[in-house]
Amino acid sequence: MTALRALNRAMFWRILRRLLGANRGRLFVMLLALGAGAAVTAALLNLQVDAKRRLTTEFRTFGPNVLILPKGSSASGSETLAESVIHSVPVNVSSGRVTVMSYLYIVANISAAQSGKSVTAVVAGSNPFGIVSVTALSSATPATSPNGPAPAPSPERVCVAGTRFAQQVGAQQDAELELTSGDHSDSCRVANLRQTGGPEDDRVEIGLRAAQRLADLPGRISMVELTVPGTPGEIQNYIADLRNRIPEAEVRAIRQFTEGEAKIYNRISGLLTATVGIVLLLTALCVMAAMTNVAIERRMDVGLMKAIGGTTHSVVRLFLTEAALLGLAGGLIGATAGLLLSIGLGKAVFGVAARPRLIVYPVAVGLTMLVAILSAFPLRRLASIRPASVFRGEA
Amino acid sequence: MFFRLVADSFGRRPRHKLLTGAALALGMGVATAALSVALDVGDRLAKEFRSLGANLVVTPKADSLPLEIGGVDYRPVNAGAYLPEADLPKLKTIFWHNNIMAFAPILEVRAEALPFAPEGGQYQAGKWIEDVSVVGTWAEYAVPLPDGAEFRTGVAKTNPWWRVDGRWFSDNEKECVIGVAFAQKNRIRVGDTISLATGDNTKIPTPLKVTGILTSGGPEDESIVMPLSHAQSLAGKPGQYRKLYVSALTKPEDGFAKRDPKTFTSAEYDRWFCTPYISSIAFQIEQELPGTDVRVIRRVAEGEGQILTRVQMLLWLVTLAAMLAAALAVGASSAASVIERQVEIGLMKALGAGSGTVGFLLAAEQLLLAFVGGGVGYALGIVLARLLGERIFGAAPEPTPLVFFVVIGLAVIVTLLGSAIPMRRASRIEPAPILRGE
Repeated sequence: MTALRALNRAMFWRILRRLLGANRGRLFVMLLALGAGAAVTAALLNLQVDAKRRLTTEFRTFGPNVLILPKGSSASGSETLAESVIHSVPVNVSSGRVTVMSYLYIVANISAAQSGKSVTAVVAGSNPFGIVSVTALSSATPATSPNGPAPAPSPERVCVAGTRFAQQVGAQQDAELELTSGDHSDSCRVANLRQTGGPEDDRVEIGLRAAQRLADLPGRISMVELTVPGTPGEIQNYIADLRNRIPEAEVRAIRQFTEGEAKIYNRISGLLTATVGIVLLLTALCVMAAMTNVAIERRMDVGLMKAIGGTTHSVVRLFLTEAALLGLAGGLIGATAGLLLSIGLGKAVFGVAARPRLIVYPVAVGLTMLVAILSAFPLRRLASIRPASVFRGEA
Repeated sequence: MFFRLVADSFGRRPRHKLLTGAALALGMGVATAALSVALDVGDRLAKEFRSLGANLVVTPKADSLPLEIGGVDYRPVNAGAYLPEADLPKLKTIFWHNNIMAFAPILEVRAEALPFAPEGGQYQAGKWIEDVSVVGTWAEYAVPLPDGAEFRTGVAKTNPWWRVDGRWFSDNEKECVIGVAFAQKNRIRVGDTISLATGDNTKIPTPLKVTGILTSGGPEDESIVMPLSHAQSLAGKPGQYRKLYVSALTKPEDGFAKRDPKTFTSAEYDRWFCTPYISSIAFQIEQELPGTDVRVIRRVAEGEGQILTRVQMLLWLVTLAAMLAAALAVGASSAASVIERQVEIGLMKALGAGSGTVGFLLAAEQLLLAFVGGGVGYALGIVLARLLGERIFGAAPEPTPLVFFVVIGLAVIVTLLGSAIPMRRASRIEPAPILRGE
């Protein structure tokens, strides 16, 4: 009995081998259809996971989205915070690093040595200094200046001037500025001009230490700007956490960006999910139609098997196993191609290769096998055909 | 005879043809839906990005430097230049007037405020509040346009993230909304009234009714926001404003747009002028409103451009991948339909048909399928794209003839390519062994 079963099993696999090898054209076509489906599934699934995460990083091109202000900061704007407040800010979050910028604003009298003009303007002391979050208008920064040895950008000596301020005071790049506030004064060289369209255009930015000396407010700051990466929900949680950590200050989301981003992020991620979902569904149907087409052509094989004594059960089992094997092979090849594809696509879109997620691989292979098996199901109906009529050429 | 053969092939094997057709239709449906969405998404997302607010700011050219800290301008009222409100309708006469989604003029004043709370049917005066920042603007003002139409605009549109509990003030009434922090600090509620004065406060002016509490997340939370006309009379600057925010639909800047317009040849200049780049819109506004300085709010404009470009590219790639997969599956399906017909081909050849005739017959069948399947697929795809568009953006993409031709063309190419290799083999078939069943 066991010998018979072993023989049967050997026969089963032998028939299967012959089935697969009998028509190379057909084998190729089936693998092509299944592989294409698996490739697209794997590529899209991988890209979708990666793209959403990447998008939240992209949103940070809008700049800071959270502010820390002195509590009860009124319109007069004269309250300050202790600088040490930034040590309570958690810097590492799940989706990246939080960028922290602290500022001290003072109103000072500024005169340019060359033009002799003098204006009252806002001086922003910033730490870290000189991180221009938006494109600087003039591209020649002192570090890349071709003429002469580039001076080391010491935060004490250089400043960044807004374009409108520069226009008013008649200062160009490398002009010397004299800053006076009360009985303190300082001087700096304009290292860069910048235009942002925001209030920075009317200001001069210097290092935080220099500003604190100028204002005689050592260790004090007016405001901290945080750039928090992450999904809208993560940012909300971060703000709530920060409020607990820094009870002495007011933590505020810049609603213009947090709200706008939340809306746009939801739209884009919805769009991506829906497109990917529909593409996957239709691809599966498309592959299924192609596979079924192949399966229907096999009534001869079924007829022959039944004529030599195969039961319906064993015939169906044979074909389903064949389909599953094909699905496995097509899925393995296709999913590998798809993952490679998504790495390339990620690089093309975001400039950073999408990280292949291993979970995508079994999912794509499994889906492909499922599609292959489902598309072999019309054979179940073929199993009821009468062998004789098939051989006579009747349908 | 030729048509009879084709018709016969369809009639004799309906299920087979149906399946090949279904594969084609589904594949082309994917292609159509993805293409339609990808073509449309730029405009839709650009509109969504307007929820970030204005991307252009207009200020007087001959202005003194604003002393702006934390969003509040500390200049006295008599310092600096102002712009005439009467010029504003001209904004909707520029070349890209349809791309101007909204604008709102701003006039800031510092004033003293005297709140009144209703108690037992009578308004009781509270204490004078010193040095309150007052923002005069439009909430939803109907701007009369030169062509007789009206354009409703204001901060409610340029700053959509401003939330008002209660309602916005009407621009013609003695009403105002107050910032949430200001309201809490001074215990003012919706329904109270506030009198505002500058300098001399022996004479109490007509109070404004508080219609809503404003949450902006910015300095406006500490301010009173009221109709522009009242702020103008408070500041003694009738018909003038200091700053104008404009929200415009733009095309993301590419390398071409980043060049200096002064270096353009006249053909390039025309192209630049006739493309809704933010720089060309800014330029047109500057021409239309004399004495102004129009600046791009880079923070909004650049982030927007970058994300738009990325998302569009991403969708194009998804589209391409979808089309590729559809093409492969369809090609496989048509290849299968040729492979399985070797016996038939053998018979035809035995009866004296040349390789060319057989190939032609098969190609004609495939083409017929491509047109029918492609057409059905196009219709299916359009329906899908509509569903997608409505679910995500609340508006369906317009069907364009371009997509139709691309999809039909793709269907034809894919079916012919898919059947080309098996057909070549079929044309080399020797009838005798095939008919013997070898």
